[in-house]
Amino acid sequence: MTISNLKKLVLGVAGAAALTLGGVQNAAAGDWAPDAPVNMILHTKPGGGVDVYSRTLAKELEPIIGQSIVVVNAPGGGGATQMAKIRAAKPDGLTLGVNTVTHLTGMQTNLRGTFSPDDFDWIALSQVDPILFFVSKESELNSITDLVELAKANGGAVNIAGFGPVGSMQNIGMAMLEKSAGVTFNWVAHQSTPDIIAAVLGGHMDVGVANLGPALEFFEADRLKGLGVLGDNRLSTLPDMQTFGEQGYDVDTSWLQIRGVFGPKDMPEELQQQIADAIHKAMASESYQTYARASGVQDSDYGPKEYSAFIKQMSSVAEEQLKAAGIIE
Amino acid sequence: MFESLAIGFSAFGDPMVWFALVFGALVGYLIGAIPGLGPSLGVALLIPFTYGMDPVVSIVGLVALYAAAEYGGAITAILINSPGTAAAVATSWDGYPLTQQGRTGEALTVSILSSGAGIFISTLFLIITAVPLSEFALRFGPGEYFALALVGLSLVAGLSEGSPLKGTVAMGIGLALATIGLDVQTGVPRFTMGNPEFFEGLPLVPVLLGLYALSEVLFMIEDGPSEKVKSAPIGGLLALPVKTIFGLKTPIIRSSVLGYVIGVIPGAGASIASFVSYAVSKRLSKTPEKFGKGSLEGVASSEAANNSAVAGAMAPLLALGIPGSPTTAIMIGALMVQGIQPGPLLFAKSPEIPYTIFASLWVGVPVMVLIGLAGARIWAKVANIPRPAIAAIVAGICYVGAYASHTTMFPVHIMTAFGVLGYILRKLEIPLAPIILALVLGEMMETNFRRALISNKGEWSIFYTSPMTVILIAIAVLAFVLPALSQLRARRAKAKTV
Repeated sequence: MTISNLKKLVLGVAGAAALTLGGVQNAAAGDWAPDAPVNMILHTKPGGGVDVYSRTLAKELEPIIGQSIVVVNAPGGGGATQMAKIRAAKPDGLTLGVNTVTHLTGMQTNLRGTFSPDDFDWIALSQVDPILFFVSKESELNSITDLVELAKANGGAVNIAGFGPVGSMQNIGMAMLEKSAGVTFNWVAHQSTPDIIAAVLGGHMDVGVANLGPALEFFEADRLKGLGVLGDNRLSTLPDMQTFGEQGYDVDTSWLQIRGVFGPKDMPEELQQQIADAIHKAMASESYQTYARASGVQDSDYGPKEYSAFIKQMSSVAEEQLKAAGIIE
Repeated sequence: MFESLAIGFSAFGDPMVWFALVFGALVGYLIGAIPGLGPSLGVALLIPFTYGMDPVVSIVGLVALYAAAEYGGAITAILINSPGTAAAVATSWDGYPLTQQGRTGEALTVSILSSGAGIFISTLFLIITAVPLSEFALRFGPGEYFALALVGLSLVAGLSEGSPLKGTVAMGIGLALATIGLDVQTGVPRFTMGNPEFFEGLPLVPVLLGLYALSEVLFMIEDGPSEKVKSAPIGGLLALPVKTIFGLKTPIIRSSVLGYVIGVIPGAGASIASFVSYAVSKRLSKTPEKFGKGSLEGVASSEAANNSAVAGAMAPLLALGIPGSPTTAIMIGALMVQGIQPGPLLFAKSPEIPYTIFASLWVGVPVMVLIGLAGARIWAKVANIPRPAIAAIVAGICYVGAYASHTTMFPVHIMTAFGVLGYILRKLEIPLAPIILALVLGEMMETNFRRALISNKGEWSIFYTSPMTVILIAIAVLAFVLPALSQLRARRAKAKTV
């Protein structure tokens, strides 16, 4: 890796003419070498998880590709502003976007008919982040089973605080549990994870939903208790918390929060593979690893083929769940 | 605690820490002064530069930037009636009239001194009360938040000049505008006319720029290049006698405490703090009639409060890991990159971080005040630029600021539309403040109202069983009814004498 970095550096110094020539050779050699700065467009405001992820990744990508990366915040429209910019861009790899599950649920609900997964190429998956259900330390609930029993006992009057409105990623996670356990819960929409944690700590909500990162410190401080994680395996940082499956609730464990990179439709397959390789290489860097471990996320090495298939599967899960919940027809 | 504070101050033995402090304060001062940018964006932009730095150096830089940017919004509010942030709106109410009277230097001097005093006083409170007050803030549930938003809205009565009816009309406009966007609970689009760009509601910065600044440009064009009041040059270090400044100590101290307490409550923030403090100062002032026409007390109250809210927002961040404002939410990201997770264990695990923040807030005060006083001399001259040139510059700033907030044309169109709306409303003498207040508080009020009902099986008891909710609602009702009643009584008395 050091040698290839050095190569890029030398290439950069060698000047524009050499770079243009080298670009073709490099493409053949399998390295992504864009001939202009790359725009990485986000659907969120500065700050927040997606922004920190993108800026950390961009900083490590720059020396690998020998070009600067401009992180552009294009919030608005539940991702519509960003997706419109990306759909309109040339498929030359110079305009990329960062996506989460919100893009997929949005395309099934509010943005249905405006954008579809087929409008884009899905290049690389870099983070997966299972959701978990938690309660305050003082709560009488200790497991998903306790939660289900409580909901059965009082006719679904259990308040679950999660991120986003009905039909959001976390709400669908809850709906899967409802279906599997044959109960209903009361979804209370929140706009940020710290809000959810504060509401649970203050005793205003019975159960909270979150990804591990923002909640981790509260588990360590013994202020929160985990009920269960929606995933194939237990979390290494919270080994005592069982998965939904272990407690006998059969849910689709591919329903994970994700962060990946996508671009406009019709990008050459070879270019997509090169971009994916560069991203996964950047993720191996020390500073990215430090950030990722502190955030509690898991790394993914999915390239264009695997990621496209994964997006297809998640979209169909989302569609199925939203139909079951009566949100779409 | 004193030992830990000593650790915090010892960080300033390192010249890099001083560099970060001065650099952060300068960048923040400039970013805050540009409408459309602001503390959140400034902190977010600086984060990538902090990756390679020592955690202490980076946090000092970010805190200095946050505090200075929160002040910077006052500059354009005073100079050209363009509050860059909602927190500076109250500053413009008296700051801009002062500029029109040629007293720009005084307004800027008071604003920077009260901001500095606000940070100094609130940091003292922060050190003593961060942990207990943050735990108390957790007791705010949806019912309490709804009642708090109601208190904010009830200030409309005190803030609308002349007619309470027109104030109420303006509030209605603001509340109606606040319903635009996706329904937060069900995700159903409301009044978006099928355009996804309206999904997240009206963007606040373009609305502010349009209503205040662009409408002002339209008035300037209408007035033509007539004679303009020259701003008095600043003679000594300060633009006004020390005695005058000292006379403002009561509103400054009161607003600092109020600003801090409101800032601690997550989600309340600097804008509510400045509105509330302004309204309280007006109520308690010996010369309430000067408010809105160029009262130094008004500028001092708003600025002391919005800067105190910076320290307030730090309290739940440091004590619990729960950000009190959008900017502190971004700071969590910055700390995480450094391997520090703010949370309930921060004081135990890395005490150097909170105590360095306390120390840098204090050490930052003189640095910020010096930058501000030096800047005031330059800005006071800007106020003397002829009116047509000012109109052109402000219009330019409006358009660039609106574009920069989203990097699309959507906010630019919004800004233009609100510029025209603002002009019409001002012609009709409908006050703008209640619109902004309702727009800022409308979502908080609706979201928490619905959360409260949903989480309580639809029963209204949640609004009268918690003592805190009851007290807040009672304050709101009194704040709304009393001014209206006294005005009615005054009118009757007048009718009798005639």
